[in-house]
Amino acid sequence: MTDTILKLDGVVKEFAGFRAVGGPGGLSFGVRRGGFLGLIGPNGAGKSTTFNLISGVMPPTMGRVTLDGTDISALPTAGIAALGLGRTFQTPRAFGSLSVIDNVMVGLAHPEESPLAALLGRWKSAEKQLIGRAEAALERVGLIQRRHDSVSNLSGGELRMLEVARQLVREPRILLLDEPTAGVDPALQGKLSEILAGLHAAGTTLVVVEHNLGFLMSLADSVVVLQNGALLAEGTPDDIRRDPAVIAAYLGADHEA
Amino acid sequence: MIQSLILSTLMFGAMFSVLTVSLNLQYARGGMINFGTVAYFAAGAYAYAIFTQEPPSGLDQYAFGFDLPWWVGFLAAGLAAMLFALVTGWPTLRLRGEYLALTTFAFAEVFHSILLNERRIGNGSVGMANVERPDPASIGLDDTLGYTLAACALMLLTAWLFHRLLASPYGRLVDATRDDEIAAESVGKDTARVRLQIFVISAIPIGFAGALYAMITTLVAPALFTAEVTFFVWIALALGGERTIPGAILGTLALVFFQELVRAIPFETVRGAQIAASAEEVITGILFILVLRWQPWDRLSRKAGS
Ligand SMILES: Nc1ncnc2c1ncn2[C@@H]1O[C@H](COP(=O)(O)OP(=O)(O)OP(=O)(O)O)[C@@H](O)[C@H]1O
Ligand SMILES: [Mg+2]
Repeated sequence: MTDTILKLDGVVKEFAGFRAVGGPGGLSFGVRRGGFLGLIGPNGAGKSTTFNLISGVMPPTMGRVTLDGTDISALPTAGIAALGLGRTFQTPRAFGSLSVIDNVMVGLAHPEESPLAALLGRWKSAEKQLIGRAEAALERVGLIQRRHDSVSNLSGGELRMLEVARQLVREPRILLLDEPTAGVDPALQGKLSEILAGLHAAGTTLVVVEHNLGFLMSLADSVVVLQNGALLAEGTPDDIRRDPAVIAAYLGADHEA
Repeated sequence: MIQSLILSTLMFGAMFSVLTVSLNLQYARGGMINFGTVAYFAAGAYAYAIFTQEPPSGLDQYAFGFDLPWWVGFLAAGLAAMLFALVTGWPTLRLRGEYLALTTFAFAEVFHSILLNERRIGNGSVGMANVERPDPASIGLDDTLGYTLAACALMLLTAWLFHRLLASPYGRLVDATRDDEIAAESVGKDTARVRLQIFVISAIPIGFAGALYAMITTLVAPALFTAEVTFFVWIALALGGERTIPGAILGTLALVFFQELVRAIPFETVRGAQIAASAEEVITGILFILVLRWQPWDRLSRKAGS
């Protein structure tokens, strides 16, 4: 029996009657604890929506999502994040009025982040301890030199790495990344690949949506393929590359395995 | 005459600055549009009057008068505004932008009409006159100077506390919540709570200012607490450039100075005074349009920055 950390059971999401996720029988799959799952499929297959359902950004129309045995289908986003789930967005999100380092600091569970602590001025020592962790995260994603910049000065690829840093600093048990290499240059992709391999080795569960299969298939230990919101195939990267249904629907006929 | 103009500008300017600074916290930092500001101000003023006045007698229609010392009334004013913010904020803060603006406006209108029609609160439209107040002469000051200093103290204390509140990890969380709620939620922050906290915290000084207003005018009546107060504070905030606390204060002082100036002109006839009052409104409107059109504060800060 494998140890499943995240489980989807018959999950359905409808937008005004249009079933974006679920297909005829609802979407079900599990993610192994410590595993590295690649989630792929054509544009509009429902990958990002699936992330939104897992992280509570929108509630499922039907079905159940469980994290470590806890039903999280009805929990708010913040509650799910507090259980140790991290995620990034396909369009990177940043706090536009804050500096790069403050964008990462917000990611930390700050013990003195209350109105009272602010008024009493008793946050400075906690802040000093945490700032080192934020700087270490920025170092890992190659943004340490930009730490005092305003985020409005960052490029698209840099914003994506900033969002990764904001999640890294939280040390989530399970991390969902939505197209982390989109718009990121090859050197930085190499760095990202190292980071993910490092997290994987340290036991973090990873679920990664990616159209960059060269990147994904070298890292993932299992793959789920979605099409029209339904599960098309599930297996190891090698199985998936050879699956005729996947080749027809997503990889294309002249795909080189 | 010049001296009394300066003093009354400072007195009312500082008092209304408390409202503008609080609104600055709600709007510029919290991202919430509150068009019901006057209701928290009125809640403070009425709470102060009710706690300090004598029990009803004779023609009084109000039901409560606790005859307590002024400072109890003052604290009650802050508490009343806070509770009113909790009650109005809790159901409405999931609304955004103009929806929140409309709901808060509606709450304030309902509150106003309750004050007007429920005579047991404060004598209905007549209001409560001769509100008790501490006598500045007891510390050797005349009335105007005493209340001017009190208003300035309340303004400075509010500005200092809000500055302290925001220059902190909590302030960073407030900014993050306004910038991108979903991103903040995704790192485990309870943004609904942050928004309610900011809404409630910023109402407290507004309640204190209401108590001070009741002391200065010695009268609380529904006619003093109309939507005009809300719009006055919003205009002052826009004039001051809405981003910084000093800007909010300067905008308010400028607007109050302008109004006091018009009121200080001696008129021979009632007709003349009426014309002046209308002219004042027209000129306020024109000033407002000019400031919005030319954004002088933005230009200044850009110049200072480059
Ligand atoms: N908020 C929404 N309202 C209405 N329809 C939506 C919404 N979000 C997603 N959809 C629809 O759901 C379907 C799945 O979208 P989703 O973004 O999950 O696809 P995806 O697999 O992430 O695609 P891509 O590879 O292009 O990112 C699409 O048809 C999309 O139009
Ligand atoms: Mg997507």
